[in-house]
Order: sequence, then structure tokens, then C-alpha cells
Amino acid sequence: MRNIIVCVKVVPKTEDVTFDPVTKTLDRSKAENQINEADKNAIEAAIVLKEKYGGKVILLSMGPMFFEQFLKIGIAMGADDAILLSDRAFAGADSYPTALTLATAIKKIGDYDLIICGEESSDAGLGQVPSQIAEFLDLPQALFVSSIEVSDGLIKVKRSIRGGHEIVEMPMPAVISVELGMNQPRFPDFKRKRWADKEFKLKIWNMKDLNLEEGMVGLKGSYTFVNRFIETIPPQRKREFIEGSLEEQANKLYEIIMKILSS
Amino acid sequence: MINSWVYIESEGSSIEDVSLEIIGRLNELKNDIDLKITGFYLGTKPGDLPRIAISYGVDHFIFLKSDLFSFYDSQTFVNGISDLVRERNPDIMLFGATYQGRDFAGRLAARLKTGLAANAISLNIDKKGLLYTGVPGYGGRFIAEIVNMKARPQISTVRQGIFKKMERDESRSGEIEIVDVELKGFNQKLKLLERKKLDIKDITKSERVVIIGNGAGNNLKPIEEFAKLIGADIGVTRPVADRGLAPRDIQVGSTGVSLNSKIAIIFGSSGSNHFVSGIERCKFVISVDIDKNSNIFNYSDYCVVADMFKLLPFLIKRMGGDL
Ligand SMILES: Cc1cc2nc3c(=O)[nH]c(=O)nc-3n(C[C@H](O)[C@H](O)[C@H](O)COP(=O)(O)OP(=O)(O)OC[C@H]3O[C@@H](n4cnc5c(N)ncnc54)[C@H](O)[C@@H]3O)c2cc1C
Ligand SMILES: Nc1ncnc2c1ncn2[C@@H]1O[C@H](COP(=O)(O)O)[C@@H](O)[C@H]1O
Repeated sequence: MRNIIVCVKVVPKTEDVTFDPVTKTLDRSKAENQINEADKNAIEAAIVLKEKYGGKVILLSMGPMFFEQFLKIGIAMGADDAILLSDRAFAGADSYPTALTLATAIKKIGDYDLIICGEESSDAGLGQVPSQIAEFLDLPQALFVSSIEVSDGLIKVKRSIRGGHEIVEMPMPAVISVELGMNQPRFPDFKRKRWADKEFKLKIWNMKDLNLEEGMVGLKGSYTFVNRFIETIPPQRKREFIEGSLEEQANKLYEIIMKILSS
Repeated sequence: MINSWVYIESEGSSIEDVSLEIIGRLNELKNDIDLKITGFYLGTKPGDLPRIAISYGVDHFIFLKSDLFSFYDSQTFVNGISDLVRERNPDIMLFGATYQGRDFAGRLAARLKTGLAANAISLNIDKKGLLYTGVPGYGGRFIAEIVNMKARPQISTVRQGIFKKMERDESRSGEIEIVDVELKGFNQKLKLLERKKLDIKDITKSERVVIIGNGAGNNLKPIEEFAKLIGADIGVTRPVADRGLAPRDIQVGSTGVSLNSKIAIIFGSSGSNHFVSGIERCKFVISVDIDKNSNIFNYSDYCVVADMFKLLPFLIKRMGGDL
């Protein structure tokens, strides 16, 4: 197989992000970061394909410089190379310029058979980037994939549909997004991690390297804007604890359920 | 007049509820603004579909017809509709945030060089036709109100189970338009080899739901038995669906469905953000968890600290024959 490119995003842990009610903005500064969970599934899927059919797994990410340490985790899992698209002008991108920037880099990498994304990112959680990369590269796509087979230049995947699944086949190159939890991502190899931290140099490309212009990327290249943030206030619940022995708890619970059902 | 287009996702002659819910919401907005609602569908033969869509509240139905539309492929569908969209230039295009709707809308937005707000849980349109969508982020803890002031159409996908569809009314009238689509020079790359669909209940409408969390491990039987006794439908948390023990369609939470039930009874969930956003609108929430510090209790009316496998036999016994 030729290159397998995996799009990887680094996201703050959902539980660590807080809302400032005064400025009405999100505070991500104290949040711990991690590779987007579904993207770990994407990396695992790529490595499994490489082990079977050969080729090189290349990680591709657009984001600030600190993403580097996370891409090295992917290298330690078994990816061959990593490219970080980093430029001040890329900041504030919605999905359109994100996909455009990634697609431009994919063309520059060249010689690819497959582009694998996660189904969605856990922060904004839009799941649009894979579809848009496919459009910018004029490639066929299958999203929400949970299994992959490759033969003779064709890729056959199982994709989710409402209430079931489809098996579809496409010629490569193609774009897929994999479902969160579709496989068990392996742990980074300890020796490889040490090597990645000390010796591995990832490529860093900026706007000029990609021949892109200001107006096309980042905030300026975006179409959607956040008018305001609203913190959702979860409904106030009673939080009444039901105590007693198991039998007593069960009996009390029974009464409560019956009361609600008949109300 | 503001022109809005709604993707009618359908199989046979039944339309996905989410499409009808979007139409329902747009009809509410008609009270304040001058809005035309066009439903569009890509398929091989129209059948009853246009009439059904009209009976649920669209003013106008466009059936895009081609033999290549016999199954869904985003490349084919985007090629099939983009010329018509450019020609008519609607202000707004809405899709259900289903697998297909998200796949289609994302690619179309890139083709049309416009923005897309995904997974909206609120929809408002001002008099000038600017669309305001509420898009949940971080598992639903925050909602970002999104606008696109730069390009048209304004595209959004809309979450299912949020809005109300209207009652079907056969006396509603509307215009039906059939457009033959020629996909000249287009070479369809994706092939459909197999399709499996189960008849799965839409739990966003259920009155009673019992949710199986990861704490149940692989032993779903006792919970299922309990659910049956109280006449409840089953929902699951994500890890349970990930392990293949239940279909995604009954997964509750930010990447699943939102419930609107009178009662939700949850067994063995830690109450993460991504999950609890799906139970916000339940009237009463009851949780059972072995860990007294489980976050799920913060989102519950009644909390039971217990090992579910020890509690359930008592509960089932107590219910025996009574229901
Ligand atoms: C992008 C993204 C989207 C996501 N979307 C969703 C979504 O839509 N829906 C969703 O559910 N999750 C979603 N998740 C996952 C979510 O973050 C949590 O990982 C998940 O909800 C945890 O499921 P759980 O609470 O069932 O399991 P766990 O967190 O494993 O909790 C299990 C609970 O069971 C209890 N328990 C164990 N044994 C017993 C016993 N014998 N009796 C009683 N209690 C017991 C434990 O004390 C624990 O509290 C998403 C994650 C990401 C990153
Ligand atoms: N900045 C980024 N860099 C690399 N890949 C990304 C980026 N943003 C999104 N992706 C990829 O697109 C998928 C879906 O993201 P999203 O559309 O943001 O939900 C992710 O799982 C990644 O695989």
C-alpha cells in the first residue's frame, strides 16, 4: 500500500474545560490535553493496515506547537512519520479552513492510498472535517466506519447507518472516518517513545510551505462564528439517597417508580 | 421571502422523524417571518413521498431524480444537487444530524464554499434570514450560538428528538417539482455491497427508559428483565454500544440520542458530560451505582448506592406479577 495518512487532533479533556460566566468564554488553559479519542482509533486502524499490506503511516495535524509531544505518542504507537501544520494564521479555524489546510498538506505529501480520520473531535464535535477533506481532494468517502478490508486497490468498509450498517466498496485513494471505539488502540512502545522523544524530528509546515494565503485559513477563512456561548444549566435534581438494606432499597425504589408512573 | 430547504431523509415511503421535526420547527418560525419551506429528496422514483412531506408541512417539494440515486453516496449526492442549489440559492439548508445527514451536509458545504453548524439543538431565524443555531460543545456542557454572515446557503445539521413534528394533515397543499438530474461525465466510485437494517425503536419518544451503563459488564439480562416488567425501552451508554452489545441507535448522550421520557432509570454509569447531556430533559431520573461518589448522582432525583446485581433480584421480586 502507498501512504496512509491519519488526521490527528489534540483536544482538551472535556471535564477540564470551564466556563467563565463573566466573560462568557471557555477556559481551556487549565485543561489537560490528549489525542482526540477517535483519532487514537484511527491511528490503530492505520497501523493494523500497514502491518498487513505495507506502506507508511503518516500522522497529520493542524494546531499549535505543543501538539508535537502528542504526535510523538502516535509515533511510539508505530506511525512512521508526523507532520504538524502550525502557523499563527491557522488559529481560529472552523471546519472549512481546517479541512482545506489539511487537504492541501495531503496533496503536498502525495502518494497516498488512504486518509483516515476520527469520526469527530470531542471538543467541538462536528464530524465535518473528514467529509470536507474528501471533497477538497475529490475522493470518495465513507464515514462512521467500524471495519476495513483492503484488496487490489479497493477498500471495503462497514459503515453505520441509522438502525444498521452498510458494506461499501471504493477504489483508493479514499477518505474514511472511523468510529470511536472501533478497535483497542495499542499502548505506545516504551523504547520507541524514548527514541521519538530524543531523536525523531517531525516536520513542521506553515502557511507558506502550503502556498496558502491569509484569507483562506484560520479565522479569516472561516464561515461560521460564535455569536455567544451559553453554559447549559443542568436541571436541578432532588438527589435524594435511598438508604437501607438491599431489600429496603428495592422496596422504596419500587414505591417511587410506581408513584412516578401513575402520576 | 426567506427560502429554507430541508433534506427529506427517507426510505421507502417513511420519512425520518428528524426531517419532520425540522419542518415542524420551521413552521413555528413562520409565525414571525416570511418563510418558505422546501423539502428536497434525491431518489429514483417519487412515489408518495412528496405528498407525505407536504402533509407534514412543507410548501414545496423538489424530487431530484436519477438512477444513480438508488443508494446514498456523498460524492454522487453532492454532485447531484450542487448545480440546483447554486441556481436557486436558498438562504438556509437543514439536514438531520444522522449518519447520512452529517456526511452529506459536510461535503456539500465544502462544495458550495459555505459554513456549516453541526448538531444544532436550537434554530432561530431573524427577519433578514440570518440563521442562529445552538451547537453543543464539550459533550453538551456549553452551547455555542453559531452564525454565518459570510456566505449562502447557511447550512446546519439538526439533532433528532429536539423539535416537534406537526400532526399529519392530508388537506395541506404544496407544489411538487420533479427535476431530472443528469450527472454528465460523473463516474460513481462507491459501490453498495450489502445493507442491513434492523427495526429499532426510536427511544427519543419513549415514556419510560431503562439505561444500561458500563457497570453492567456483559450481563444485561437482569436489567432487561426489570425493564420489561415496568414496560420500559432500553437505552445504553457509549461503552456498551462500543462493545457491540447494543446498536448505536439506542445509545444515549452527545453522540447518541437525547431522551424526553417521563422516567429514566440508570444502572451503572459514572455520569460523564457526554452521557448526561442526553438525559437532561427526562422528568425523573433514578440511578443505581455501586460507587457513592459516582457523578451520575448529581444528575439524579433518586439515588441508590448498591451493587445492581444484588439489588435487581429484590426489585424484580417486588415487581413480580404486579405489573
Ligand atoms: C467524543 C465523545 C463522545 C462521547 N459520546 C458519548 C455518548 O453519546 N454517550 C455516552 O454514554 N458516552 C459518550 N462518550 C463516553 C463518555 O465520555 C464516557 O466514557 C461514558 O459515558 C462512560 O459510560 P458509563 O458511565 O456507562 O461507564 P463508566 O464510566 O465505566 O462507569 C461505570 C459505572 O458503573 C458503576 N458500577 C460498576 N459495577 C457496578 C455494579 N455491579 N453495580 C452498580 N454500579 C456499578 C461504577 O461505579 C461506575 O460509576 C463520549 C466520549 C467522547 C470522547
Ligand atoms: N486540526 C486538526 N488536525 C488534524 N486533524 C483534524 C483536525 N481537526 C479535525 N481533524 C480530523 O477530523 C476528524 C473530525 O473532526 P471534527 O470535524 O472537528 O469533528 C477528527 O477526528 C480528526 O481526525
